[in-house]
Amino acid sequence: MSDNRPDDDILDERIRVLAAARYNAPEGSVPRDAMWAQIAAARRAARAATPIDAPTREAGVVPLTPRRRSRTAVAGWSALLAAGLVLGVLLEREVFDDREQGPPVAVVTPRSDPTPSTTPTDTSITDGVPGATQPDRVSSPSAPAPAPAPAPRVRDQIAPRPPQYAQRTEPRDLDALPDSTLQSFYHTAAVQTLVQAEALLTSYRGTEGTTRDPQALRDAARWARDVLSSTRLLMDSPAGRDPQLRMLFTDLELILAQIVQLSGTTLEARERELIDRAMRERDLLPRLRSAVPAGQAAS
Amino acid sequence: MDERELTARAKLGDEAAERALYDAHVDRVYWLAYRMSGRHDLAQDLTQDVFIRAFGRIGDYRGDAPFGAWLHAITTSVVLNGLRKVKRFDQREAVLEEAAMVTSPTRQAEPDLKERLAQAIEALPEGCRVTFLMHDVEGFTHEEIGAALGTTAGTSKAQLSRARAKLRIALQDFAGEWVQ
Repeated sequence: MSDNRPDDDILDERIRVLAAARYNAPEGSVPRDAMWAQIAAARRAARAATPIDAPTREAGVVPLTPRRRSRTAVAGWSALLAAGLVLGVLLEREVFDDREQGPPVAVVTPRSDPTPSTTPTDTSITDGVPGATQPDRVSSPSAPAPAPAPAPRVRDQIAPRPPQYAQRTEPRDLDALPDSTLQSFYHTAAVQTLVQAEALLTSYRGTEGTTRDPQALRDAARWARDVLSSTRLLMDSPAGRDPQLRMLFTDLELILAQIVQLSGTTLEARERELIDRAMRERDLLPRLRSAVPAGQAAS
Repeated sequence: MDERELTARAKLGDEAAERALYDAHVDRVYWLAYRMSGRHDLAQDLTQDVFIRAFGRIGDYRGDAPFGAWLHAITTSVVLNGLRKVKRFDQREAVLEEAAMVTSPTRQAEPDLKERLAQAIEALPEGCRVTFLMHDVEGFTHEEIGAALGTTAGTSKAQLSRARAKLRIALQDFAGEWVQ
């Protein structure tokens, strides 16, 4: 072993010289100014994001910075999306409750006054146009008022439920809704998500002009995370049964999943290239725009 | 203005000081990135990322070691992470290229010394490869490499020894000629 040492040293030196001369050997000049332009732009963007008087900064002190407008915008969009979903759920419940209750019936709240009255003092209509009472279903004025608390619904005593609702044991079961109604709810949620996605992708493409502003990319990634969650939920919902919509969601999911990965570093040029190429090849923005009914984006 | 003063001013966000530090160190960072990646576009991206990250975290630099050593620790971290990302991307593309090759096979030429050398270096384990390139090719000391990689000078020596041994084996076809 030891007798090989001299040869090893010669070989090592030879390999070292060869590697220095031939393995990714420096050629040309360092593009100093081009790189500095990018670095300076990124630094200015970073400084703008933390507007603090430079002389007051001290090492080791973490400054409190105001929330950036872009974050507010992201939060605003998220709140809008959440509000849309909540509205959808409320609408769904409202319609379901109405369906569950069946045809309009009058509800009589028992009076504490034992004197019978010929007109109910507190009559409400549970469905249909308020005030459009149906005399044949209104309870008799002489109906007894057995208990002070909770108001008995006259319909339970007089008006039988339609059979399709009478059999229900789980009133909140979505299966109770007709498919068309369910589809319309999910369609509304899908449209809202697509509007979000369109706005996001348009904004993302707009960041190209700002020479890869890292903060804009990070904001886009955060925003994409929200839209991606909604997209995945919708893919698993009945809205995903529509083949065209499903295909659109699948393509959208792919792009969003890539945008979510962006961290704003300059290393991501190739990732961004891939995202841009995928968006172009899949015609994503035109498809999103055609999937969103006119007027929805503005609202 | 010495480096200590420059770093102090850079901590306060002085762009001129940042530029001065950049000018002092960019060549070494760039060529190390190029040595390890073999691509100018990638070396450019990596170098930019190194300096953006360094200036963004300059508040963490305490000044108890040379700025260059601190910068090279960031360089190796950024370059290695960047290369891993690119490698994953290239592997995805390679699958597609292999599929295309099935329909249009091409005859591979016998690799010459330069190719064999490149293959041998790229086949080294990451730690060995980085140490070999930094020490034998770019002229970093073991202390600098240890600081950059978060290890010790002894570890760097051991990695270099392993790298050289592997390269000798990989290039043994040429050994007889070289020794003579």
